[in-house]
Formats: sequence, structure tokens, C-alpha cells
Amino acid sequence: MVRVFSMMMLGAALVLSGCSTVDYGDAQGRETVNTDFGSTDLQMIASKMVDDMLVFPPIVQMTQSRRPVVFVDRIKNKTTEHVDTESITDTIQSKLINSGKFRFADMTVVERVREQLDYQSESGLVDQSTAAAMGRQIGAEFMMYGNFSSIVKRDGSTKDVYYKFTLKLLNIQTGIIEWANEKEIRKTKSKSLFGL
Amino acid sequence: MNFFRKGCLSVALLAMLSGCATNSLFVSYPSQAEKWKATLGNEAASSGTTLKLEKATAGGDGVLYLQELGRVTQLNGEGEASRNAFADVVSKYDAEDASAKIQVSSLAASGTSLITNDNARPYVAPDYERIFTRAYQAMNYWAENDVTGTAVELRAAALEQRVSANKREKEIAKAEEEAEENKIDLNQFDGYFDGIDAVAGGVKASFQNAWTFYLSALFWEAHGEYNDALVDYKKALEINPGVDMIKEDVERVSNPRALRGSDEGMVAVLYEQGFVQPREEFSLPIPTIHGVFSVAFPTYAIGSKPRPDSLRVLDSASQPLGETVVLADVGGLAAKDLKERMPGMLVRQTLRATAKYNMQKQANDNFGLLGSLSTQIYNLVSEQADRRSWLTLPAYAQATRFQLPQGEHALVLSTPAGNRTLTVPVVRRGLTVIHAVAVPGQLITRVLPVQEGPL
Repeated sequence: MVRVFSMMMLGAALVLSGCSTVDYGDAQGRETVNTDFGSTDLQMIASKMVDDMLVFPPIVQMTQSRRPVVFVDRIKNKTTEHVDTESITDTIQSKLINSGKFRFADMTVVERVREQLDYQSESGLVDQSTAAAMGRQIGAEFMMYGNFSSIVKRDGSTKDVYYKFTLKLLNIQTGIIEWANEKEIRKTKSKSLFGL
Repeated sequence: MNFFRKGCLSVALLAMLSGCATNSLFVSYPSQAEKWKATLGNEAASSGTTLKLEKATAGGDGVLYLQELGRVTQLNGEGEASRNAFADVVSKYDAEDASAKIQVSSLAASGTSLITNDNARPYVAPDYERIFTRAYQAMNYWAENDVTGTAVELRAAALEQRVSANKREKEIAKAEEEAEENKIDLNQFDGYFDGIDAVAGGVKASFQNAWTFYLSALFWEAHGEYNDALVDYKKALEINPGVDMIKEDVERVSNPRALRGSDEGMVAVLYEQGFVQPREEFSLPIPTIHGVFSVAFPTYAIGSKPRPDSLRVLDSASQPLGETVVLADVGGLAAKDLKERMPGMLVRQTLRATAKYNMQKQANDNFGLLGSLSTQIYNLVSEQADRRSWLTLPAYAQATRFQLPQGEHALVLSTPAGNRTLTVPVVRRGLTVIHAVAVPGQLITRVLPVQEGPL
């Protein structure tokens, strides 16, 4: 009798412990939990932008002999979701740097770089022969910026989201947009008939 | 033995009822809400009520308590807590939108509601509450000067309004169809709900909230997005065609070139007056040969609806600068919403009356006088109208705006709930918003960060 009872408890414990598990997944795998902006959207946008930019003939020509310096302005979030657009531009920036065609100036750390330069030149603690000199940074030639907008339609049983991501590369000196592209994504979710 | 079995049955019934996890089954929601309404703006007293609210958010009515929590913490000046609460509210809305059409859990709740009352059904926030959630969340981001976050929430508020407008007609038609299928004549109840119509007053649709449109129009205008501002001013005007202030606004942003020369900045006062009135219970005892059983409906009474009173703004020399006008009659929105839900409620009420009548009849036949009496008492006690709704919303949402030269200005806000002197910064072509909330006995105010420049 005791044995039957303990077997039952063991069985119950097994069933209950089956409720929650932790597992590693493929970071590149398709994520379709809901229609909100997700990792797959981010990856699709970034690879589309980078692939397109690197084969655009004038860009190919320009980057043949030199690596132009670009700074990332920002992507305006015009959607109805709180999306970290900096994360998208970070991915694009990493991919472009790794392509070996572009170099980037990072405007988000300017203040901290200035502090470090001040420390090196003014604190008296740093050997001046190794200190980084003021006024020797390289000016960016291009500005990267864009928009991220969405159109959401929803009724009783369906939710449809259309995202449009636009990215532009502007020559700071001439004011000419040298390259631009957009990525559209459409996601639709229909309600299931039965659920818990 | 028989007695024992009956005891077991009632214990099981009790366990089942308490298991459905909504808190308003036997204690009416408005009486619960009194607790946190009384402590608003009083940090020491409210920390206890916040804890209670937090506990209640885990139940089937979680979304309702979360809404209250977001609002209570916002008025107590706990911006981050409020932002988290409203973010949870929004994810509950999303879950509700994505949920399956037929849910096992809600079927179980509907089953329980058949032998108890509508409070057993999980709370589904009506559209007008969703729109307020988005507007308050926008204000939370605004208070932190997170311009992108504010813009996202204001866009989401506009989306909610658009979605509500689209789905409204379909839903009402469906409820009426259902009533027809169940052979229930909706007109027979018409006389009981005159109060609801009176409270709804001039409100045309339960979701049209000119106040949130006005809020977003002001924001877009301050950031030079005149096109978006014009659209939202026009929508606000469409809902309140008689308000001269909005007509001027429409004219102003239609011609943005004229704005460029101006050296003044705009000050807007968003004023929320009092609390929206709670639903009341209308109970109808029906005597039958098997005993008395009762039917209870939620309703609104015109007598308990507060009257609108405005907030006047004076400068330091007591010269009037502006007076708020009502842009959203929240009591009216709530009443209109109840009216729209009525067909569905009446269908369930009729089915429930039948189920309870059968229980009574069986008790009469099988358990004799004692059983019949206890079933009768159970039926009377369990019959509670669904009186749940977001009760820390204001009764009236009002607004005014005026231009002042750049610099610091001392302004006097004058309301029947009290006066308050504030010093506000005014920036050339910028927007300064004063958020004022009058709750019984006090006027809660805060000045939101000035908005200017492109987005």
C-alpha cells in the first residue's frame, strides 16, 4: 500500500516537474510568439539593409580603395510599440564594420571619451608620450538615419501589423542621400477557435 | 448520512466558488474601491492599499486592479510603479486580444456565473478604460521627459479609438442576434434602464474620448507635427462640436506659418474632476410557486452623477487666463458602455434565472423545507449585479489652454476642491502642461516637462 502511494507521488512529481523547463534555443530561429516586434524582425531588417548596401554599385565603387567613416544618428520610432531602435542600428553597424568596408564614429560615447582625454592630458598621471592627443579624431563623412513606422489593423479575430523600416545614408558635406532602402514586414495573427 | 452528504456538497460548492478567483463575487466592487479612493494623494496611508491592490492583481479581475494600481500610484507621485502597472495592463489587453475565441477557462467561469452571478466572469476592460490607460501611460512617459515613449503611447491611444469604432457595430448586432436566438425580448427590460440613458446624456459612443485626442494634439503641436495635431484637434472637435477653444486650435494649426512669428509659449491645463460614479444595483424579486428568487442588474442613477465644475486659471494679479471645458464625460462613457453590454447581460441573466429556478424546484422536491429554504437564501445572496468598473477615473476630463510670454509665471488654479498657486516655466513656442486632479478634499497638481522642438 505504501509502495503504491509512493509510486503515485513519484508519478505526480514527474508530471508536475514537467510544467516548466529551461532550454537553449537557436538565436537565429524564427520567433512567432505574437505580432509584436521581435528578434526575427530585427535580424531580417539588419541583413536586408546590409546586404543591399554592400552591393549597391556606387557604394561598391566608393569602398574599393578606402573605408569611409559613418556616424549613426537615430531611427525615429513612429510605431505604436516601445521598440529599442538603437538595437537595430547596432546590429547594422556591427555587420558593416565586419564587412571591412566602413568605419564608424560613435556619438553615444563622446562625453566619456572627452573625460578620458581630459584625464590623459590634464591629470598629470599619464605619460604624455603615450597620451592620446586632443583634436585628432577623424570627422565622419556620412550620417546614417531613418524611420521605423507601422500600420496596425485589428478586429475581433485578426491582427495585422505592417512594419516599414527606412534607412538612409547622407553625405554630410554635400547633403546628398547616397543610398537609401526600406524593408517591409507584414505579420498577421488570427485567433484560434479553442484554447485554455 | 444525508446531512453529511449535503455538508460535503456545500463545502465543495464553496471551494469551487472561491476557486474562480474573482474578488467581487460576494463583496461589491464599489465598496472595495472606497478603500483606495480614500487614500489617494496620501502616501503614508496608501502604501497599505497599494499592497492590497498588488495582491488582487493575480486574480481573474487582475486587469481591473492593475488599472486602479496604475492610477493610484500615478496620483501618489510614484511614476515608475505606475508605469510598470500600466505596462502590465497593456500586456493583459494584448493577451485578451490574442486569446482563443472559445476558452476552456472562460467557459468554466461562465458555468460558475450561471449559478452565482456575472462577477464570476473574468473582468474584460471596456474600450474607454483602455483609452484612458494609454493616455495615463503617455503622461507617465511625459513626466519622465521620454518623448519617444510618450509619442508611442499617444499613437497607441489613437489606435485603440480606431479599433473600437470599427468593432462596435459588429458586436452590438451580434448580441442582438443572440438574444433573438434565445427568444429573449430585449424591449421588456427597457423601462428599467432609463437611468442609464439619462446618465449617458449627450455621449454618442462609449469610446469617443475627446480629452485624449486633445492631449495628443497638444503634444504633436508642441513638436511641430502640425499635420498630426490637426487630425487630432479635428477628431476632438468632431466629438465636441460646440467647443470654441478647439475651433481656434484647428484654425491655428491649419496655418502653421502664422505660428512661427509668435514669441509666446502655450500653457495647457488638463483637469480631472472627481471620481466617475459607480454602477448601482437594480434588484427585482420574482415570486414563484417554489419560492422567491431575485434578479439583479447593474445600472446607473442620474441622481448620483456629479455635476461638472470647471477649474479657473488666474495670473498673479488675479486676472483670469482661462477656464476649463468638459471634453470627456467619463460617467457618460461608462453608462453608454453598460448600455451597449446590456443585450449580452440580459441573455445571461435570463439563463441564470432559469438555472436558479430549477435548483429551487429540485430543492423543493428532494430536500423538503430546509433544503428549499437554504437554496432560496443562496439564490438571494448570490444574486449580485456586476458592478465592476475602473473607479479611480475622473467624472469629467477637462482642459483649457492659453498663451503666455516666455519666462517663469505664477499661476493660481482655482477649483471648488481648493486653490493652488504654481510657478510654471514658459518657453517660446513650447508647451507647458499642468496636470490637475481634484479628488474629494484636495487638488493634486504637477507640472510636466516643457515640450519643444522637433521629435
